[in-house]
Amino acid sequence: MTGVTGKTDCSKTTRGLASAILLSTLLGASLARGAEARKPTVESIGNEVQCTCGCVAPVNQCPMLNCSEKAEIRAFISKEISEGKEEKTILQDLSLRYGLQVLSAPPAKGFNLAVWILPGLGLLVGLSLVVVIVRRWNSKPADESPAPPATYDPKVLAAMEEEMKSAGLH
Amino acid sequence: MNQVGSVGLIAALAFAAYALVAGAVGGYLRSPRITRSAERAAWGFFLMITLAVAALEYMILTNDFHNAYVAEHSNRDLLTYYKVAALWAGQEGSLLFWTWLLSIYSALVVWQNRRKNRQLMPYVVSVLMGTGTFFSLLVFFVANPFQELAVATSTGTQAFTAPDGNGLNPLLQYHSMVIHPPMLYLGYVGMVVPFAFAMAALITRQLGDNWIRITRRWTMVPWMLLGTGILLGGNWAYAVLGWGGYWGWDPVENASLLPWLAGTAFLHSVMIQEKRGMLKVWNVALVILTFFLSIFGTFLTRSGIVSSVHAFAQSNIGPFFAVFLAIILFFSVTLLFLRLDHLKSENKLDSMVSRESGFLFNNWILLALVFAIFWGTLFPVISKAIENTTVTVGAPFFNKVAIPMGLLLLLLTGAGPLLAWRKTSFQSIRRNFTAPLIVAGAAGAVMFAEGVRNLYAWMTLFLSVFVAVCILGEFWKGAHTRMRTASENFAVALYNLTMRNTRRYGGYVVHIGIVLLFIGFAGQAFKADTKGLMQEGDLLRINNYELRLSELVSGDNPNYEYTRAIFSVTKNGEAFTSMHPEKRFYKASQQPTSYVAIHPTLSEDLYVVLAGLDPGTNKAIVQVFVNPLVMWVWIGGVVTLLGTLLALVPSRVEREMAEMRLAQEMIVQAGDAF
Repeated sequence: MTGVTGKTDCSKTTRGLASAILLSTLLGASLARGAEARKPTVESIGNEVQCTCGCVAPVNQCPMLNCSEKAEIRAFISKEISEGKEEKTILQDLSLRYGLQVLSAPPAKGFNLAVWILPGLGLLVGLSLVVVIVRRWNSKPADESPAPPATYDPKVLAAMEEEMKSAGLH
Repeated sequence: MNQVGSVGLIAALAFAAYALVAGAVGGYLRSPRITRSAERAAWGFFLMITLAVAALEYMILTNDFHNAYVAEHSNRDLLTYYKVAALWAGQEGSLLFWTWLLSIYSALVVWQNRRKNRQLMPYVVSVLMGTGTFFSLLVFFVANPFQELAVATSTGTQAFTAPDGNGLNPLLQYHSMVIHPPMLYLGYVGMVVPFAFAMAALITRQLGDNWIRITRRWTMVPWMLLGTGILLGGNWAYAVLGWGGYWGWDPVENASLLPWLAGTAFLHSVMIQEKRGMLKVWNVALVILTFFLSIFGTFLTRSGIVSSVHAFAQSNIGPFFAVFLAIILFFSVTLLFLRLDHLKSENKLDSMVSRESGFLFNNWILLALVFAIFWGTLFPVISKAIENTTVTVGAPFFNKVAIPMGLLLLLLTGAGPLLAWRKTSFQSIRRNFTAPLIVAGAAGAVMFAEGVRNLYAWMTLFLSVFVAVCILGEFWKGAHTRMRTASENFAVALYNLTMRNTRRYGGYVVHIGIVLLFIGFAGQAFKADTKGLMQEGDLLRINNYELRLSELVSGDNPNYEYTRAIFSVTKNGEAFTSMHPEKRFYKASQQPTSYVAIHPTLSEDLYVVLAGLDPGTNKAIVQVFVNPLVMWVWIGGVVTLLGTLLALVPSRVEREMAEMRLAQEMIVQAGDAF
């Protein structure tokens, strides 16, 4: 007999899930706090802006020699920082000037909201699937039949015992 | 030689198509004779593709520039080992190379199973050769590397032999690029073998322990190679691209990570099926997903549907891959649904705090990560199709999504192996986790006191210590038990413990490798960089380093022209090292590239890039990075590789079991024949 009661299982499942969600939420919250606290620099914004020269890399990583577009974007960012603008505003101004594709990640607005929401949604759907699987497993009737009598050779049992000991299972 | 190559390709296509049909017919009619003929055709496929590869390599090595592919991707002064690598430098050659690796895997599978798994083999061969047929068709009809170079004239096109080739892309002229693509391809292509066994098991309804045992081993090999290929790619990006990093969340990088993550999920969940007879449908689904993502990765790299620094030029092969992906999905999912009755779980979950639940959570997070990366990678295409807006989804998105999930995975890397099967008692949790938590807590406090304030970096290092203590504790406990029971010294006890259960302890070594990788990743939070225009004698400071530009040297060799900056470096005011970054200009391809100078140590890398000479002042444009802990990424990769190799070594018990199974199967076969 290996099962436990449904109620106990349910409460344990809930506790487990609650812990997982709490952990995820804490991580998310700390992430948001970290983002708020950041002061803009040309380097930090340069990682969030794509170079427009066709190199398919962020401005800070553009491998092109003497890339004029990289220099122009960096100068634009530098000017905006000197005017005391915040990162969010600078990114907005960049997207107005160069188009939305200049941003390394789209803003969470309109249709682009989907790119940000779906991974979290996927995580939750996955969690629901895990819950469904666990519930389905637990709703199966427990095997009530008595254990078959031990018919193993005592030598084999002794060898298994030794094996488990040496593997640190005892 | 073009004719030889083409004959090889068409013969390979014929062999593959024959084996595809003969395998299925042989399986359906249960005819050993037809099955053997299908297997011989698989050998024929291998030999003919090898002939085609040999023909192309011969033309590359002998500078046969009347072949269009050779003229496009090689040149006379290219070093020999780069000439060999030119085979996979372009679309046509790399597809041929893919097909060749598939033929090698197929031949290995046929040889390894010549006396066993005879009921599965007809369908295994059929699936392998179905994939072979697709790639042979593609290489022969759509991306044929055996085309003559031709020029347009007033009367049409005329064959032409170029005096020299365009040369290999300079970015590919780096030692790890010689082995990175083969490793990656071996990983991608190898995922076809577990898929073939899974399909054969579904078709024959032989869904017991056997197929899962074969599949696990055949997944570990390509999983290991794919992981090694990904790391070599990171090493190449780090040393060649000159932006100071090794992972940029480029679509093609993501495409290689997806099957690796799905394969990781399978390698964990398969243990639940082996131990408890659970998750049978899930495991088949994961095998299908891993293979699907392998082909999807190849499709993404070659179709040009996403913009990437790695992608091959936009080509017309995308629709062919789309059709093949649809066929794979339709065929495998239909088969899975038809066999659901044979894939029922044999047990139930006894407790939420158990090894099984640990694996379930591991799979949950891995698959959520696969989905998030897949979605982010494809979103620009979806946005363009639906909104007609071009957007970029790059590192900021992937870092925000993947880092929290990665940390949860890291936690499970240590906690999972310490949970008992079926049910873990509170006492057991307290006994197993107290010491790791105390040590990790102390390490966390020290790190905070030392000024580590970045939350993610702190959590990564805290969890890394926790996991390392958990895993090393398992080795320590096991060895001490042996020291008591078998009177062995610690080293002998540790060796015997590991060799008696290579799979378990190899897995632990892999987990240690993952910890080291994460420690390396955490270093990214502390990187520093500076740049400047320098002339001889100028100084550039970063952290506690001081770089003096001693000399700027220009030179020339048959392959490229170069400008080399010679820096003498001091650290804390004392002589430290000398570094020589270069800017190169490759003559054949007329392309510039950087040759980065890196001084690696266990604590940090000093990374110097000569971006070029400023046209106005003729001063050197220099960028310097201090990248902490990067060395641990490469060490972690090597440890992961060694751990996987260890897990692949059959333990003594496994060898005895395998011999018993083979003997049983031979008795059954003899009985059937009688």
